[in-house]
Amino acid sequence: MAKYIIRRFFEMILTLFIIATATFFLLEAVPGDPLTERAEKLPVEARDALYARYGLDKPVMERYVTQMANMLQGDFGESFVYAGQTVSGLLHDRLPVSARLGIQQMLLGVVVGLLLGILAALKRGTIADYFVVGLSVLLISIPHLVFGLMLQKVFAGTLQLFPTIGWPTGSDLWLGGWEYTVLPTLTGCFSYIATYARLLKSSMLDVVNQDYVLTAESKGLSRATVVRKHILRNSFIPVMTQLPMSVAMCITGSFFIESIFSIPGIGQYYVTAVNNQDLSIVLGLTVLLSLLYIVVLFITDVLYAVVDPRISMPGNSSR
Amino acid sequence: MAEKNHILEVKNLRVSYHTYAGEVKAVRGVSFELETGQALAIVGESGCGKSVTAKSIMGLIKKPQGEIKEGSEILYNNVNILDYSKKQWQDYKGGECAIIFQDALAALNPTMRVGKQIMENLMAHKHMKKDEAKKEAVEMLRRVGIPEPEKRVRQYPHQFSGGMRQRVMIAIAFACDPKLLICDEPTTALDVTIQSQILDIIKELQKKHNTSVIMITHDLGVVANIAQEIAVMYSGMIVERGKSEDIFYRPRHPYTWALIESVPRLDLTNKQRLASIPGIPPDLLNPPVGCPFCTRCKYCMPICKERMPENTDFGDGHTAACWLHHPMAPQVEMPDVKGGAK
Repeated sequence: MAKYIIRRFFEMILTLFIIATATFFLLEAVPGDPLTERAEKLPVEARDALYARYGLDKPVMERYVTQMANMLQGDFGESFVYAGQTVSGLLHDRLPVSARLGIQQMLLGVVVGLLLGILAALKRGTIADYFVVGLSVLLISIPHLVFGLMLQKVFAGTLQLFPTIGWPTGSDLWLGGWEYTVLPTLTGCFSYIATYARLLKSSMLDVVNQDYVLTAESKGLSRATVVRKHILRNSFIPVMTQLPMSVAMCITGSFFIESIFSIPGIGQYYVTAVNNQDLSIVLGLTVLLSLLYIVVLFITDVLYAVVDPRISMPGNSSR
Repeated sequence: MAEKNHILEVKNLRVSYHTYAGEVKAVRGVSFELETGQALAIVGESGCGKSVTAKSIMGLIKKPQGEIKEGSEILYNNVNILDYSKKQWQDYKGGECAIIFQDALAALNPTMRVGKQIMENLMAHKHMKKDEAKKEAVEMLRRVGIPEPEKRVRQYPHQFSGGMRQRVMIAIAFACDPKLLICDEPTTALDVTIQSQILDIIKELQKKHNTSVIMITHDLGVVANIAQEIAVMYSGMIVERGKSEDIFYRPRHPYTWALIESVPRLDLTNKQRLASIPGIPPDLLNPPVGCPFCTRCKYCMPICKERMPENTDFGDGHTAACWLHHPMAPQVEMPDVKGGAK
């Protein structure tokens, strides 16, 4: 087990290195640089000073090496666009906003999705099943963007039930200002509903036809017991392994929703930074978010072994 | 003969599956009785309706795809179980009647400890408390010959070998002392030495609890080992049935002859090919009007293709459904087969 974790750790480092390098050179390959606009109207001396301040006067390879070395020490550098803005400051200010939005979306979406999935599987071939299938297809094929705008139009515009844009900050950051969070949460939870309803339904239909369900039924257990102890437990294996990915997604936020509802989250800033070619911010966020995903993938692998006793971790023989 | 005590009587059982292609008539009018404490073997090739018959008795035919047809009766202690209420079914399944499936790996819940799977049964039917059931589960595992049952009871099915898994299935089946046990090809997935061990365990427990057994198999060796009576099924019908000796030594139906012929024997020389039955069984979507075996039968007569043969009684419960036994049919004796009769 220890050996396995160590191996995974080195794989993580390598993956991060590749991601960082690729991101750096891809951003470099974009024509122009982050300072072009700011430096346009400056005199030549001032312009040179500006470029020197951010190290942009040096050759690409030298900057690459400096950047990577700094990142190793946890220093991602300063924003080219907003003076004094750093990656860690950004995370501190904006991550909680994205996290609350994401957690609310996920909780609502996963719970509703799983319930619909169970309903569809148990009532297979009935109106309820067709309703769930139709709803999932609808929810997964329509982009967030469209839902967001539609909800804004109907609930904020016509009915005036909720504010159109905005997000609680300050002391309301985690628990207050619910009226602001309703529409963004709804917008974002739809894709979770669709994903989890379909995932659990197909997994349950698979399990229902297994012989061990027949065995359970032949024991004379009540339908509820068979469903709960034999069908659901086994159907949750794919769900359990999908969940960590969703958690990662919910923390990193959704760019579109944050843009539509003017939510000061990480996603919105990320998009802005890419547009501004704000290299150090993009690079820093990319590496950190990748790290999050990689860790989550590792947790997923471990979870597999936890929920399914047939899978044993390498070097951890169960026989 | 004195009035026999029948634990189970199946009368004119007909089961269909509704598929996209149409109605598959998997079981087409099967009738048999099972005496208390006896073992009946149902033999036949794959797809002949053996397992569907077993599932019907166990109440495992799933609607809406599966349908037990109107007019079918399954009398358990003279009560038609097809009329059971939900509650009666729950008491019957697992408590009165238990089933052992062919593939124990598939038939055991992979994410539940083996002990728990036995305990479930005990807690549902014997109303045991948890720790009581746990002790009993260990005891059951010991009784079916699993070493170190205290340790094994906490393990998962994938940690058992094939033979041990089938023993676990037997422990689950016998946990509540069922009166009726259905074994659906219990030894097919096992190698030969393990097969006989498993059969011995089933026989021993059967004797001890006076359980009546329906053994479903396509292996005639298994049949000879365990059953007093045999029913030969073909294409959803019983074509011949009788006492084991009668079926093995005095078979009357050409399909039974062919089955017995195709059993490998030690006195065959290397040059002799093992006999097999040419052709395939009829399509149960459109079952033939005549004898279902006629397309593969060496002795097929014109009448066979047109009319279903009646059962001919040979005494002592031995019947066969074949036109060859009609008074007007030519006299055909069973060929000097390579297996069985001498």
